[in-house]
Amino acid sequence: MKGADVGFVTAIASLPKVGPARLGRLLDLGEPGEVWERIRNGTLGDEPGVVESLGARSAPLVASWRDHARAMDPERLGRLHHDLGIRLLCAADAEYPEVFRTDVEPPRLLWVAGDIGAVRSPAVAIVGTRRCTRYGHDVARRFGRELASAGVTVVSGLALGIDAAAHAGVLDADEMGAPPVGVVGTGLDVVYPRRNVGLWHSVAQCGVLLSEAPPGATAEPWRFPARNRLIAALADIVVVVESTERGGSLYTVDEAIARDVEVRAVPGHVTAPSSAGTNRLLADGAAPALDTGDLLEALGVTVEATGGSGRPDRPVYRDPEEAEVLDILTTGSVTFDELAERSGLGLERLGLVTARLQAEGVVQRSGGWYERRG
Amino acid sequence: MFTTVSSATVLGVDGQPVTVEAHVSTGLPGFSIVGLPDTACREARDRVRAALLSSGCRWPQKRMTVNLAPSGVRKVGSGLDLAIALALLVADEQLEASCLEGLGAVGELGLDGTVRGVPGIVPAVDAVIADELVVARDVAHLVGLVSDAEIRAVATLHEAVAALAGEDPWPPLPPRPDPDPPARVPDLADVRGQRAARRALEIAAAGGHHLLMVGPPGAGKTMLARRLPGLLPRLDAAQALAVTKIHSAAGLRLPADRLSTEPPFRDPHHSTTMVALIGGGAPTLRPGEVSCATHGVLFLDELGEFPPHVLDALRQPLEQGSIRISRASASVVLPAQFLLVAAMNPCPCGEANRPGHCRCSDRERARYRRRLSGPLLDRFDLRIDVTRPDTNRLLGGEPGASTATVAARVAAARARAATRGVRCNAELTDARLEAATSLDAGATALLDTALRVGSLTARGLTRVRRLALTIADLAGAEAPLTSEHVGMALALRSEPLAASEAA
Repeated sequence: MKGADVGFVTAIASLPKVGPARLGRLLDLGEPGEVWERIRNGTLGDEPGVVESLGARSAPLVASWRDHARAMDPERLGRLHHDLGIRLLCAADAEYPEVFRTDVEPPRLLWVAGDIGAVRSPAVAIVGTRRCTRYGHDVARRFGRELASAGVTVVSGLALGIDAAAHAGVLDADEMGAPPVGVVGTGLDVVYPRRNVGLWHSVAQCGVLLSEAPPGATAEPWRFPARNRLIAALADIVVVVESTERGGSLYTVDEAIARDVEVRAVPGHVTAPSSAGTNRLLADGAAPALDTGDLLEALGVTVEATGGSGRPDRPVYRDPEEAEVLDILTTGSVTFDELAERSGLGLERLGLVTARLQAEGVVQRSGGWYERRG
Repeated sequence: MFTTVSSATVLGVDGQPVTVEAHVSTGLPGFSIVGLPDTACREARDRVRAALLSSGCRWPQKRMTVNLAPSGVRKVGSGLDLAIALALLVADEQLEASCLEGLGAVGELGLDGTVRGVPGIVPAVDAVIADELVVARDVAHLVGLVSDAEIRAVATLHEAVAALAGEDPWPPLPPRPDPDPPARVPDLADVRGQRAARRALEIAAAGGHHLLMVGPPGAGKTMLARRLPGLLPRLDAAQALAVTKIHSAAGLRLPADRLSTEPPFRDPHHSTTMVALIGGGAPTLRPGEVSCATHGVLFLDELGEFPPHVLDALRQPLEQGSIRISRASASVVLPAQFLLVAAMNPCPCGEANRPGHCRCSDRERARYRRRLSGPLLDRFDLRIDVTRPDTNRLLGGEPGASTATVAARVAAARARAATRGVRCNAELTDARLEAATSLDAGATALLDTALRVGSLTARGLTRVRRLALTIADLAGAEAPLTSEHVGMALALRSEPLAASEAA
């Protein structure tokens, strides 16, 4: 996109309640600079049919835009892109990702931080709940690492939980791995959630961050389903690692189904609410994602057998009490009391065994619950 | 004419001897009380006048001055009424001066001449310097427990006057009231399941370790806390006296005829104000809940709901076992040696502990966590997660050990601590602790790994050793501490409110 237009387009996109639909209509009215002038002068509504085309209840909104527009400086917004290293792509640009050109609902505008070349096939989206269990976290991280090592692009949303774990896994992979692609729901200069700030910058540095929201746009609920649509559009396979019965990741699943993108789910405990959504997907006919090998096969990627998906070596010998406790923990998270009852160990003995396993990093405690890691 | 009677007032939890001086002379009729009386004390004027008239005495039409010496100490409450009345009667020569020799009096007067007990009477009579002590009939037995003086129990001012005038003998002491039925302390055997939590209670009682329970609503945190006083040793005579004095000063209900030897249990609601919790209210600098819990248990339910500044005020008493309250008029030290037991939910919805169950947003959880300051959390040696027990275990399941059994183990462990010169291990200084807790090879290795992987901090190390020592004491094990003791200690000291596992 031309230098001067970047500022005008960003300014229009930054007006209140301008989503992809309204933005599209506004940009169809003419050159961005010209449209901006009309908003600023308050003459946008003079032409018959314009206000109606913007959807119901738009009249007061269009009137309010005039005041907002006068407080904004398109030129400064244009410079801001340069300062932040953010670029704005539209369909007319050569770098606009091919995968969006054929999409049913392509992003009209795409803000990009990092190397847009990272968006390439084959790609797997790893999505899931923000409040994951240790199990989900570990699976997402392992998938992220192993897929990236196999040269598969990992797409995710940079939310807490599964999303963050998947990308952390990608960053764990060696330098030859595929760079990460993050699709976010806020402006690229607004890190949300704040806690992911380190991951956010690492992804932008090693791979690319994409957003449909202009710089400065804060987290608003309606932006996240739209973001999920882009994740689905970018992926060849969507893997749901953990999701509750009505989790936000199921939006991504719907969008994937609408695009004929394969959906896979990681099986979980039938009693775990964090796996209720994924187990339901499996029951409804989604294929299970058991390990990276399955996914690579489905993508038609072959990997040299250098143990890319090799698991960390387990010590062959464990003392019987530790083995017993680990065995119980394979069934999910368990309280100390329940562990004591099922293992038949005395409380002191069990305290020692769990302390050892925790020190080894094989078991972790969260709240009163013990979980197995890895 | 001039005369004096001994009495006392209360400041904080201690009595202050007061000499009531009365002077009656010719002059313009009038009555004034000097010597820093507070409002209740100044109102004694009207009560004494009515009581004298109702008791068949004359109200002198003279110039009367009452001085409460030492005049620099603030006199509080109505306990000086009786002494003022008797002093006036002698000064007006309605009674012989000799009859007041060695006499003390503490009590409030009613308008009809009745003599009543007052809040704080126990510390007050303890401070009175007298051979004979006139008090209200209904507190006579209680006062007898703390005072060496001969107790003269009267129901009315008239009885006292008649006895002092030699017209009647002193009324006999009232018959001992029926002893209160022993308070029913809930039994530990009522708790089904919860083995780890029950063990934590036992360790808390044996070692005097402060205990924090984190768990969802309905997990039984309150039920567990209420069973802790039963596990603590009975109070010895000195402790019982101290507790009775504090409770009397705080105006709590006391058993009528004995010093209570049951460890107190106080559970203030989370709307409690700072002054009510810490003490210092009213001109008496009344002791607060923390002082009332001395030698017993202070239970703070819903710890996260207490205002942060109130909780932070607990840090001094937790460290020093006492609180210094200073006001413009006075400064007192209130005892506050209690075992702190706190309970809280892991997050506003209460379900955060169980992976994947919480409905709270991250922001809500972060805000909830921030309410507790690190230094306060650090005071809890025992930090356990309590989970809702299985329904199977509630209905079936064998009852655990009873309070009596566990209390015996606690007493044995405390006896071992006594060989180190302390009542419980929580009182050991860091240097003494180091000496008492040698570690065997396995224990050293375990602590070493825990420190290396970061599940234990250097500061936590001392606390874990202290805890492990109590665990060994309970098991009757000799030094050195083994890996099992240390492992158990680590299991009972979770990181409270662990940050979101995905971070």
